[in-house]
Amino acid sequence: MTPQEELEALIARIVMGDRKAFSELYMRTSAKLFGIALRVLKQDAPAEEVLQEVYLKVWNRAGQYRVNGYSPMTWLITITRNAAIDRLRRRSARGAQADVDALADRLAAPGPGPEAQAVMSDEARLLHQCLAELPEDRAEMVRSAYLDGATYAEIAEATGTKLNTLRTWLRRSLMQLRECLGG
Amino acid sequence: MTDRDDTDLPGGFEAAAAEYVLGLLTPQERAQFEKAMRADPDLEQDVAAWSTYFAGYTDSIEEVPAPPQLWSRIEAAAFAAPRRKPFWQQLWPYAAGALAASVLAFAVYTTGSLGPEEPHLYADLVAEEQGYVLLAHWAPDSQTFMLRRDAGDVPEDNAIEIWVIPGPDSAPVSVGLMQAATLTQIPVPDALVPLMTPQTTVAVSLEPKGGSATGAPTGPILATGPLGNRG
Repeated sequence: MTPQEELEALIARIVMGDRKAFSELYMRTSAKLFGIALRVLKQDAPAEEVLQEVYLKVWNRAGQYRVNGYSPMTWLITITRNAAIDRLRRRSARGAQADVDALADRLAAPGPGPEAQAVMSDEARLLHQCLAELPEDRAEMVRSAYLDGATYAEIAEATGTKLNTLRTWLRRSLMQLRECLGG
Repeated sequence: MTDRDDTDLPGGFEAAAAEYVLGLLTPQERAQFEKAMRADPDLEQDVAAWSTYFAGYTDSIEEVPAPPQLWSRIEAAAFAAPRRKPFWQQLWPYAAGALAASVLAFAVYTTGSLGPEEPHLYADLVAEEQGYVLLAHWAPDSQTFMLRRDAGDVPEDNAIEIWVIPGPDSAPVSVGLMQAATLTQIPVPDALVPLMTPQTTVAVSLEPKGGSATGAPTGPILATGPLGNRG
């Protein structure tokens, strides 16, 4: 079986309450998902709580996993990223200004270079190639939204742009991205 | 979204799907989008595709081993509480009475008696989202396992495979297959008889026509349920 098929088989067994399968899935995937939670939240304690939330979701809702469109890893990564961003946004509701300043810095920082891109999966490589076709500031906005939970309001403030203008630009960029990705 | 007069945002639902995955929609837009997604499988596929591509951002994120005590906490939380009952059972607990009556009638029909020496065991297998309702019945006196399919289709190229899982750490064991019939009776070999107890979970999966080739489920699990007595 391919690694993907192995993960799918584990998920199928988890649906049936197989604890060994659950523990094996954790062993195989927790380091990656913890890394992602840490990247988003930057602190151990909330990252650990998010990871616990993620695996409880997996245990209780493995039956909702659908093979159509999601590989097991994409499913797990999506759950983790969404849980971490939700958590981040609740926290940052208290520290809005500091986050906008930090966001302005992040928007100015570059994405992964060619060496990092060489070891990526096909989808990741294609994503970065297509992002490279966008104006650099727009590509960074997309990245900040995904990895840092940046909202239109925050990006507008950090870049001194009007929100509606920003949204129009970004939606055009997303359509361009979609065409490049082959949709 | 382009069907509203007060915004002339480019991209329509296709761009909205990306915004949805990125978390850029307002709460109202999100609710509208989720409603549209439920009605349109293409939109759901769009979301899956965007999620797959954007997950590429995590490719370069390094793995970080989680602290060992985290697994203990997860285990304790996951295995302490019983998992959610199917929505059907939560909402209509009194339906169990109606089901018990029909099951009893079924038992009388199939075994010809109301008083077996060993208790007959039953499992309700319900997957309300996908529309599957099945009843499994273990009859010890005839050493027969029966499956009755009350709702849900079996596509032509597939079969339903029936599994029993004796305990939380056990591997599923195949009992047999159900194809076009809505009632299947399977003679159970002596070796499997000890598995038919109230701790055992019954599961049904959708497999290729001849069943799983690997000895373990390979297709989606349609429904599961524990074997139990009926009052």
